[in-house]
Amino acid sequence: MIRLSETARRALYAFLAALLLFGLGEWVRPGFIAPASVSAILTVAVFVGLVAAGQTFVILIGGIDLSVPWVLNAAAILLATSSLGENGRALSALALTLAMGLGVGLLNGIGIAFLGVPAVVMTLAMNGIMEGLTLGFSGGMTCEACASYAPPSIQSLAHGSWLGLPAALWLWLGVTLVVSFVLGATVFGRVTYAIGVNARASALAGVRVRAVTIGLYALSGFFAALAGVMLVGFGGQASLGMGEPFLFQSIAAVVIGGASILGGRGHYVGTVAGSIALVTLMSVLLAMNMPEFGRSIIYGVIILVLLLLYGREKGEA
Amino acid sequence: MAGRSRSPLAHALAREVGLVLVSVLLAAAVLLYVGIYLASQQRLPGSCELITTVNNTLPLIFAALAQALVVMTRGLDLSVGGMVDLTNALAAQYLGATPAHALAVAAGILLIGAVLGFLNGALVAWGRLQPILVTLATLSIFQGLAIWVLPQPGGSVPEFFSRWLANTTWPVGLLYTLAAALFWLAFRRTPLCIAVLAIGNDENAAAAHGISPVRTKLAAYTLGGTFSALAGLFLAATATAGDATTGNGYTLTSIVAVVLGGISLFGGRGSALGAILGAYVTTMIVNILFFAHIDPLYQAFYEGLFLVIAVVLAEGVGRLIRGRRAA
Repeated sequence: MIRLSETARRALYAFLAALLLFGLGEWVRPGFIAPASVSAILTVAVFVGLVAAGQTFVILIGGIDLSVPWVLNAAAILLATSSLGENGRALSALALTLAMGLGVGLLNGIGIAFLGVPAVVMTLAMNGIMEGLTLGFSGGMTCEACASYAPPSIQSLAHGSWLGLPAALWLWLGVTLVVSFVLGATVFGRVTYAIGVNARASALAGVRVRAVTIGLYALSGFFAALAGVMLVGFGGQASLGMGEPFLFQSIAAVVIGGASILGGRGHYVGTVAGSIALVTLMSVLLAMNMPEFGRSIIYGVIILVLLLLYGREKGEA
Repeated sequence: MAGRSRSPLAHALAREVGLVLVSVLLAAAVLLYVGIYLASQQRLPGSCELITTVNNTLPLIFAALAQALVVMTRGLDLSVGGMVDLTNALAAQYLGATPAHALAVAAGILLIGAVLGFLNGALVAWGRLQPILVTLATLSIFQGLAIWVLPQPGGSVPEFFSRWLANTTWPVGLLYTLAAALFWLAFRRTPLCIAVLAIGNDENAAAAHGISPVRTKLAAYTLGGTFSALAGLFLAATATAGDATTGNGYTLTSIVAVVLGGISLFGGRGSALGAILGAYVTTMIVNILFFAHIDPLYQAFYEGLFLVIAVVLAEGVGRLIRGRRAA
């Protein structure tokens, strides 16, 4: 008998849930599991999965990143406005955008690790800061460059395909491999889990807790920005509020994927499964013509149920 | 320094340092506002400006009270905005045309707020779940329900209702502010408030002294939900119509007001009077930005920035004073 760890079992459940949901979708609307439809669903899951990669990093140390909506939105707008839709400027715009995400995440980390601001408050405040800056600098999306499209090269990264699979999925596969390697086989990864289990003991053992914390939040900002780049490439143009759904979805993907929200346990593979299950559920609800408010209620209920199953604090009642 | 032989006044100052700081902050904000107003309008702000400021602050005062009760238990309520959305939508949809009807519906809405808060509290206390994740999930549920109740902005708030809660000719809002302050001064002496602060300080120690964390949290979240509903009613009265999304911002601003008011985010310390004053500071900041001709698009930027600065300063000053006391 193979005995799976708790988190591995949860990741498996998430994959099974996704398969079940695909079956349900086919039952609701025949053609749901046609290759084109599945590929479209998985492409949407890539956006959630990228944001959730960053969220996984910070949740592993018992943190949270509430700043992803406007970091993502700012990244999408920054990419479009700095590239002006020209391929020649695509690379520098990409570097600028990802550096912005990394920098914002770095500030989050510094606020949390050095200034002692609770993660929820620091990242909530940062979300407001990025919202204000994005709205202010773009003049509420009235600026001349704001109507720019993403460069064709970025658009083909989101739309194109390679060896029969969407390019976005290849990117996600690469991210999954790298993130899993970093978490599973590097010192940085082991230290991340150690801080999540017990930050004080890690510090006493010589772990540079503050530096690692800053690094993790920087990564979260980076992945939110990367998702913003992919999203503007996918949609062509940026818009205000495009990041809003991703806060809830990224946290939901991590919870569905079985990582402990108290830190210390979880794998990115689980989050990948969680992203796919969540987006498949969204697609099934859409196929059932569920209005937006109904979906919003169902997401909340599902998260509560999963939290009750997975996320209970041990100890006295 | 002052050591053990400090005068009673100095001792009281040290204990209420959060309140003292937020009072100074409010005085500074009011002075700055009056100065900028005078410079741009060539006259002093009058009763009209006072009434508008008070009326605009009232929803935030009650949202901040809701947030304060939860924060004192060492929690955080991200669903405050969703509860304001839902109760605001209910008010715009169902208040009706006669005063008696409106009163009954308003009471019903407060009851619904209590139920929503109880739901949060039950999940946190009985479910032993993290407050942040519970309220993030219920935020999504409450926002969905709000849009279900009021799909498009609109509805109607009867004129007499607006006159009661957000009178534009008399500053009755000051009376409501006073009522909120008196509520806290009375509540502070109840066993419930002592239990709230005790479990915020150290849940295990409080439980060892016979305080039930479950019952205390249930009561604190239920009371918080009722205050969020009150915020929704005041928002409906001020806006004279409903919108299922305008309440969203109250999650952030209620935390800002609580932090500015010197209530520790690590629970167990603070006074809701601070949250009330913090709410006024938050409104004054918006007023100042307006008269300083700063683009309102940047408003969220300043709110976020002030939140970080306030937390850092509050922790820094708190550490300084505790350090001196220990010395």
